[in-house]
Amino acid sequence: MDPYGQEWMNAEHSMGTSIMAVAFDGGVVMGADSRTTTGAYIANRVSDKITPMTDKIYCCRSGSAADTQIISDYVRYYLSMHDIELGEDPDVDTAAKLFRELCYHNKGQLMAGIIVAGWDKHKGGQVFTIPLGGALVQQPFAIGGSGSSYIYGYCDSNFKEGMTKEECMEFVKNALSLAMARDGSSGGVVRLVVIDKDGSERKFFPGNKLPEFWMG
Amino acid sequence: MSILEYNGGCVIAMAGKDCVAIASDHRLGVQLTTVAMDATRIFPMHDKLYLGLTGLMTDITTLDQLFRFRLEMYEMRENRKIKPKTFSNLVSSTLYGKRFGPYFSEPVIAGLDKDNKPFLCSMDLLGCIAEADDFAVAGTCAESLLGTCETFYRPNLEPEDLFETVSQSLLAALDRDCISGWGAVVHIITKDGVTTRELDGRMD
Repeated sequence: MDPYGQEWMNAEHSMGTSIMAVAFDGGVVMGADSRTTTGAYIANRVSDKITPMTDKIYCCRSGSAADTQIISDYVRYYLSMHDIELGEDPDVDTAAKLFRELCYHNKGQLMAGIIVAGWDKHKGGQVFTIPLGGALVQQPFAIGGSGSSYIYGYCDSNFKEGMTKEECMEFVKNALSLAMARDGSSGGVVRLVVIDKDGSERKFFPGNKLPEFWMG
Repeated sequence: MSILEYNGGCVIAMAGKDCVAIASDHRLGVQLTTVAMDATRIFPMHDKLYLGLTGLMTDITTLDQLFRFRLEMYEMRENRKIKPKTFSNLVSSTLYGKRFGPYFSEPVIAGLDKDNKPFLCSMDLLGCIAEADDFAVAGTCAESLLGTCETFYRPNLEPEDLFETVSQSLLAALDRDCISGWGAVVHIITKDGVTTRELDGRMD
């Protein structure tokens, strides 16, 4: 053990994390855990990793907490300028591309895995994932963060096209609960954000309200 | 990540009025992946002496087997149960015997001696004994455990109150450590016997 504290004092805040987003007809459901760690110490057990860009576009952040906070601040600023210039709400793919520009061109200095999702009037609900190198990929659903490794099988076998908003919420809650049970860097509470043409709604699920699975 | 943090886990022990409590979590991990939620870190050496081991699970298992063997031999020769203080010296010299290639495990010993007076100590992986009259902790969240124990501990608690205090001290620290948790067990040792209870904690 390190009695003088050098390891954890210099370890950066990382959002080990389990994040995901699923598109349905008319919007998206986004979810995340709430654990921020400094080494093995849980620096914040109730963090909010789903960050608003506009009222109908949000992003889920994973990786370095500092990097993703700054990147999302820049994108929020660019989008607010763009909103003024356009005179209408920005599109989800515009937001995603702005994230991509920052993540790709600074790939050497950044550690950020971001999922961008939201609703716009041109293409409805959309989910984009931007993993570590800065690629931009649109998907019907996306999972990210260290906890996502544990739920690829669950998500691949349980996702179906044409789910309703409620089915998407169940899917996200179950997947994140499974990831949080197995991944040491994920845990705390589950936060959900549901976005549709009328705006966004936040939902909160503490540990005791999460589905229970086999616990060994 | 250091080798003592590879599997995760922690142990806490606290003294009360003519009783001791020893508790631990149940997680077994491979770095940040959780592999089992029913790992045992606390082993009865005899009915009034319990040994809790933290650190690398393979060394925990090996040390448990080694000390059970040494105790069988001791009881055969001495025809009596070993005293907690003597046992702590046995553990210390066993660990120091591997000074330049140590067992990656830090023990906590909790027991009642002849007059049912509580005995508590913790050790580092090389066998340095730190005896305490209030509480002893070890594991990946040892610093957090020291904080919660310092806050909640009061001297001369009865067994029922000691159980509550140990449980809350353990659970509060587990909530702040990624690599400990996933259930917990508490043993309360009194002159009349041992009560073992499982705790309902966060499973993340």
